[in-house]
Order: sequence, then structure tokens, then C-alpha cells
Amino acid sequence: MFVLREIAISLTFFVLLYCCLSLAVVFGWRRLKMLRLSQKSLADILFLARILPMLGSVSFTCAFVIPSFQLLEPRGIDEDTGILPVALGVTAIVLIALGCYRVFQAQISTARIVAEWLADAQPHQSGSYTVCSRPDVPPLTLVGLRNPRVLISDLTVGLLTEDEMGTALRHERAHISSCDNLKKLILQFCPFPSMAQLESAWAEATELAADDAAVSDANDAVDLAAALVKLSRLVPIRSAPICTMGFVTGSLGLRVARLLAWNGTWRQSPSFPAWATVCMLLSAVTVLVFTYGPALVITHEITELLIR
Amino acid sequence: MLRTTSSPRLGPFEHRLLEEVWARGNVTVRELLADGTISQAYTTVMTTMDRLYKKGLLDRAAEGRAFRYKARVTQAELQRNAAMDGIARLLESSSASSRPLSYLVEAVSAHDAELLNELQILIERKRRELKDKVESRRVQGGEQA
Repeated sequence: MFVLREIAISLTFFVLLYCCLSLAVVFGWRRLKMLRLSQKSLADILFLARILPMLGSVSFTCAFVIPSFQLLEPRGIDEDTGILPVALGVTAIVLIALGCYRVFQAQISTARIVAEWLADAQPHQSGSYTVCSRPDVPPLTLVGLRNPRVLISDLTVGLLTEDEMGTALRHERAHISSCDNLKKLILQFCPFPSMAQLESAWAEATELAADDAAVSDANDAVDLAAALVKLSRLVPIRSAPICTMGFVTGSLGLRVARLLAWNGTWRQSPSFPAWATVCMLLSAVTVLVFTYGPALVITHEITELLIR
Repeated sequence: MLRTTSSPRLGPFEHRLLEEVWARGNVTVRELLADGTISQAYTTVMTTMDRLYKKGLLDRAAEGRAFRYKARVTQAELQRNAAMDGIARLLESSSASSRPLSYLVEAVSAHDAELLNELQILIERKRRELKDKVESRRVQGGEQA
């Protein structure tokens, strides 16, 4: 009974915190777009905001709710759990199951479609990409989580010049180093309504960040813009699976306009400073160390309220 | 959010005044005329604002002997409603439901192709600029040597 009560209380805390944090993110994330940061930092911050509800609620439950129950709840007393914790516990299980299902579904459907694309694919002699001849392959796309690779349709190979291909590949390599496919999969695990706009803002920021990483001078910028416009004319037959990063995504007009206005100043946009991250982490750890005991007591008082 | 799905038709002057109200937040007729950007007579502006109020696009509150107006809908909401109306009319225009949709896809594709052509021209212009810059640098270098 003690263990069942502990599970119900932990799940209740988890789901309540998850919903509160998600609502805070839904209503507050637009302020993040006003930060004057590089697109890379903005993409990282938007991603962090999107996964914050899951990360925060899991961390809080594991760090406070479970220990407070273990340490402060008397084991001998047989208390009723109450309807509310049971109902919220079931909601939490449904939420977690939904997240797992979405991840599983995204992985399975992506793997199936990519396997079809790769059926008669040939790796290019340079080894940097794979050429696919099927008509439904997107012009240029990044697939795979552990061993990501760039797939290019044979139409694309004929359409782009060597320089344009070079910048387009650098763009995709930037997605590889940011693990963007993996991040897309992680987002599937955090379901909550009204997050679509935040996810699309994150996707746009990742594309702009990859553009920034691919370009080192004005000629590169023009080559990348030209590759974008050329490949936009190749209309994909079906929409791309979830865990892939297409080259022609986001607002085409914005991306091309940005590239044509390139003057070497992107790199001067401030990144989120590493020292600030370290300071924030150190402060959080210090506060946690000094307030952990009282925080456990308060958490346990709240759990008592929930049970009653 | 506008409650009704149908979007009222607006004349050019009504649209102009609505844009002024969106830009200023809230405004009286006298304030609209004060900076001289609107040259129509006071009574014309007052009548048009009253019409916008009756169409449900403006709210008003009495302020002395005049009214202070503010928008009931945002620009995005009005555009959305107009687009929804247009699409609904398009879908109702034919008994074969797929035909109007194919017109819509055709129109969007034509619009996209136009945009791509415009972007292509911009890219070619930029390429020429960069090439000219390199050429002029080379000529300058040659002259100095």
C-alpha cells in the first residue's frame, strides 16, 4: 500500500507540474524570440523551453517528491490515497504512454520510408552523401539518429553546381552537429496542446542556424540561396517523415533574403555565454544544497494535502 | 477573436481608417485628422467610423461629446476571416468538390513559381554584383602594380 501510494503521489506531482510548466511555456515562449542572440543560441533556448516541462517535472519528482515521501511518510500508517491522486496518476500514465507511442510511431514510420528511399540508393564516391533515384525522395534531406547521412535525389545532383552542393552539404552537416533529428524525436515525447508554434519557431531557428554555419563569405551565401531556390522547384511527392531534416523548409523568402543580405555580421550576434550557464548551474546547486531539507518538508506537506 | 465567420466587405477608405486605428490603438475622429495624413472632411471620417462600428469592427466609448474608437479585431483576424470567406465561396462555387480545390492549388503554385522567379532574379543580380566587385578589385590591383 505504501509503495502504491508513493507511485500515485509521485505521478500526481509529475502531471500537475508538467501541466503548469507547459502552460507557462505556451504563454511565455514568445518573449524568448525578443532576445538578441545568434540563431544557434536561440534554437537551443527554444528547444530547452519546449522540453522544460518534461525535464522540470521529471527532475522535481525524482529529486524532491520521491525522497520526501520515502523519508518523511510514516510507513506504519495505512492511509487512503484518495480519488484525486489516483485520477491524476492515471492521467500521468496516459501522458507518458502517449509520449512513448509518439516516439515509437515517429521512429517506425521514418525508418520504413527511409528504407524505401534507400532501396536502390548509391553512395557518392566522395562518401559525403547518398544518391537516391526514387521519384518520391526529397531533393536533399538528412536522415538517421545514430549515424546520420545526407540523401540527395539524382535530380538534385544534376541541378546544383559544385559550389552550391558544397554549401548545401555544409548546411546539413550543421544539423548533424546539432543532433537536430534526435531533438525532433525528443519533442515527440513531450505532448501538450498549443506547442506547434513553438516547435515551428524552433525549426525555423535551426534552419537559420544551419544556414549561418554553412556560410563563410558572400559567395557561399549566394550559392546557398541559389541551391534553396533551385531545390524549391522540385515539389516533393509526399511529406517528409518526422525524424528527418529537409533542406527546403521554413520560410524560403526569409532565408534567401537573409542570405543575400549577408555581410559577415551573423557571427557577431552574441551567443548565450558559457560563463552565464556555469554561473546559473552553480547557483542552482548551491541553493539546492542549502535548502534541500526544508524543501523536502514543504514537498511532503503538499503531498499530505493532496492525499487528503 | 471575431465571433462571426463572415467578414464584412470594406471600401478603400474604411480599410484606411481601420489601419490607422490598428496603428494608434485607440483614437478619436479629431485625433485622426490632427496630423493631416487624412485629408477628408470631419463628417466623412465620422460617418465612416460609425459605419465601421456598426459593422462590428470597432468598439467605441463616449469621451465628452465625441467617441473614442478602438479595434474589435486584429489585422490578422480580419485577414483570416476574409480568406476563410473567400475559400468557402470558392468551395461552394461548384458541385464537384475537387474542382475548386484544384483551382486553389493552381493559384498557389502560380504564386509560388512567381516568388521563386523573383528570388532567382535577386540571386543573379547579387552574383553579378559580387563578380563586378572582384573585377574592379583586380583592375585596381593591376593599376597599382
